[in-house]
Amino acid sequence: MRYLKEVLESRELLANLTLREIRGQYKRTIFGQLWSLVNPLASMLVYTLVFALIIRVQPEAGDPSGLDIFAVWLLCGLLPWTFFSNVVQQGMGSILSNVGLVQKVYFARIVLPLSKVGSVGYNWLFEMGVLVVVLVICGAFVWPWLPLVVVTMVLLAIFAAGLALMLAVANVHFRDTQYFVSIIMQIWMYLTPIIYPISLVATQSDKYGGLFGTTVTILDVYRINPLERFVAVFRQLLYDNRWPDPQDFLLCAIWALAAFTVGLWIFRRSERGLAEAL
Amino acid sequence: MSEIAVKIEDVSKKFRLYHERNQSIKSAIMRGRRSVHEDFWALKDVGFEVPVGSTFGLIGSNGSGKSTLLKCLAKIYYPETGSITYNGKIAALLEVGSGFHPELSGRENIFLNGSILGMSKKEITGKFDEIVDFSGVEQFIDQPVKNYSSGMYVRLGFSVAINVNPDILVVDEVLAVGDTEFQAKCAQKFVDFKNEGRTVILVSHSMESVREMCDSAAWLSHGELIKVGPADETIDAYLRSLPGASAA
Repeated sequence: MRYLKEVLESRELLANLTLREIRGQYKRTIFGQLWSLVNPLASMLVYTLVFALIIRVQPEAGDPSGLDIFAVWLLCGLLPWTFFSNVVQQGMGSILSNVGLVQKVYFARIVLPLSKVGSVGYNWLFEMGVLVVVLVICGAFVWPWLPLVVVTMVLLAIFAAGLALMLAVANVHFRDTQYFVSIIMQIWMYLTPIIYPISLVATQSDKYGGLFGTTVTILDVYRINPLERFVAVFRQLLYDNRWPDPQDFLLCAIWALAAFTVGLWIFRRSERGLAEAL
Repeated sequence: MSEIAVKIEDVSKKFRLYHERNQSIKSAIMRGRRSVHEDFWALKDVGFEVPVGSTFGLIGSNGSGKSTLLKCLAKIYYPETGSITYNGKIAALLEVGSGFHPELSGRENIFLNGSILGMSKKEITGKFDEIVDFSGVEQFIDQPVKNYSSGMYVRLGFSVAINVNPDILVVDEVLAVGDTEFQAKCAQKFVDFKNEGRTVILVSHSMESVREMCDSAAWLSHGELIKVGPADETIDAYLRSLPGASAA
């Protein structure tokens, strides 16, 4: 409890560090904040070209929204993923990239990874805002679902923060972590139904049947991936415009809390030794 | 007996001297161990008390453990054994301009640096004019700090730190910043500090400044406390111990 109080007392520092990241990021660029849109836009173009026009992946039309645009469907999953992946990777490096601070000043170290959640989250918010505008232009009736979208965004941020906390500590002790994680992130992305619909996996899974004579199917194993649930909820809300599946939503919340609790526990335990280990 | 501001009891700090350190998973697994090391005690059972309102000097040769003790005081390192108890809010000044972002303006950096040092936004806003005034960079306060001269940079950092207004201030040898005029200002600020009943703990190699500013001093050598007492006596004892002891 005392630890939580200390973290709470550092919220102004957290805000200031987040602002430092945000303000410093696009300083002296001509397009400024617009740059944060360029990356997802470029990936959208590439994936749409390859997967919709060449491989002809066809996700189901939004139900009941009736949307049937691959690029928009893709973005509903891709933007949350990019946020998640950036938070984990930047949060992981946040202690190492602030060696000077950690070794010279006492403050609650947890604000370093958390400030990354803030700064990446700020960009994400901007991207999601643009996505909502696009959805509205395409004819989706997205307004009533926005509060739930925000809740899901917060849950994903908590989940990402938890992983970032664990990995930040690991990265101080083993510098391999950052390289290892960047590979894991690539694999993880393709293991999540972001650029292809989960129905493709379901079809293959049905063909194969139970694994090793049990009733557990490939799909069941596939769906252990927490990001699959998050992406599903985001698509249900934004693309389909309907209530999210309660099981999916609940699992998102459980994953988020579990990851954050473990992350916080690990970080707290190792926080004191960080200055020496660097 | 006056009140105690900082009480240091039997503090020991161990570092590991690595003969082999496996910071990558591959080497850790291949060699079957994380590291081969021997322990090095940078501080051995150091204990003394610093009375409230005093200016206290830490002296000793290089590698005597002064900086380690300072970092323990600043809560950056945690001692293996022993304890340090504070009576009041502590601020440590081991570096000036911690966390300055070169692209941000002096104004933005004051708020950033202030909050890193533990000030609230309200406090910083209240002290803003004083900080800017003290640093003497009014004219450039809205310029990015990367365009500052190194003197301006350091002065700004120092001004923020000195305005944290802690009950106990821990200072490393950062006093030697800026021109003569700025140094005089700093010295005056320390006198004000003392008059306000605040405690200052200072590490320095300049015996003159320790003699001038400090009431008492502690002399460390190879991690052990050799002598603690009135500044003049401790300094004399330290100087006598040096080979070819003559000048200060």
